[in-house]
Amino acid sequence: MKNEEMNEGKMTVIVQTIAALLFPLALIFSFYVIMHGHLTPGGGFQGGAIGASAVVLLIVAYGVKHVEEKMSEGGFSVFESLGGLIFVVVAIFGLFLATSFLANFLVNEPIFGKIPGWGESPLNSGGILPILNIAVGMKVIGGLSAVVLILALISREGEEK
Amino acid sequence: MFEISLFEVLIILLSVFMIASAIIAIWFKDLLASVIALAVMSLLLSLYFYILHAPDVAIAEAGVGACLTTAILIITIKATKRMEGDEE
Amino acid sequence: MKKLAFIAFVVFFFFLFYSAYEIRDFGNPPSNVKETFPDAKYKVTMDDRIIGKYNTTTGEWEYGAVEETGANNVVTSVVFDYRGYDTLGEATVLFTAIAGIMLLFGREKK
Repeated sequence: MKNEEMNEGKMTVIVQTIAALLFPLALIFSFYVIMHGHLTPGGGFQGGAIGASAVVLLIVAYGVKHVEEKMSEGGFSVFESLGGLIFVVVAIFGLFLATSFLANFLVNEPIFGKIPGWGESPLNSGGILPILNIAVGMKVIGGLSAVVLILALISREGEEK
Repeated sequence: MFEISLFEVLIILLSVFMIASAIIAIWFKDLLASVIALAVMSLLLSLYFYILHAPDVAIAEAGVGACLTTAILIITIKATKRMEGDEE
Repeated sequence: MKKLAFIAFVVFFFFLFYSAYEIRDFGNPPSNVKETFPDAKYKVTMDDRIIGKYNTTTGEWEYGAVEETGANNVVTSVVFDYRGYDTLGEATVLFTAIAGIMLLFGREKK
């Protein structure tokens, strides 16, 4: 029985339980790093790598067949393209609402426009930087998860043949 | 005599451990152990970046180098052969 | 092998403790900023000196980045605002890599 489970790519119950506990925590930490990218070290790419590593944890613990039922690489690819679209659309808004492409048109506006004083670090600051952070985070989560998922699927199919 | 601070001791120790794990990574015949040694080198490199005051690069290195690269290489090893030099 | 595992455990334990000990408080500037720049108007974090402006008439350093982008983390404001084209190109590289892998290995929908 144990060997059959190993052949399906699953790991033991201990690893599965720990992975199920750690997956939401890793996603929350990834969203924290992305949302606080303009205040603390980190940003879109770093938070996206952490979120993709959460998906990798699920793939390692539960096997790629089980993960494929819940999420598909096509969905990840659409998510990634959505992130790229948000990036470019925000950049073009800068061209029309302010001076140039990628101009920071949200400073001193009510949304994300506060300028921090001495010793403050409000979340509601940074202009378009939080939006671009979210866009890049979506890109990196979708892209890296899609790559790992599709490589695992291909290697699993090669074993079955 | 030289005065050696904690920072320099840490840098020397880190360099020694990094070189040792890199040599281990190409020394082992077991490719799985070699990948783990590569992950250890990547984690030590992230500590190096951290004490050089580059926390952004440290987070990126820890996430990509120690987790995703290891996962992709282990998937590749599962799809091929585990030991180096096995002739079929 | 057990000794090696123990050494690795000690090293990473030290790593985590050192990180937790050395990390900056949330929202606080580094400790030496007020001594180095006592007249700084805004909170100076993450090497704001890199893109500080030198005022030639008064001969003092002014801090433009926090006021211009509204972000405390000056590294992020360089990456996403001052050098936004670099980030756009990086995103394009990532997109191209994913598109190539999906074209190579992607399966048709049933």
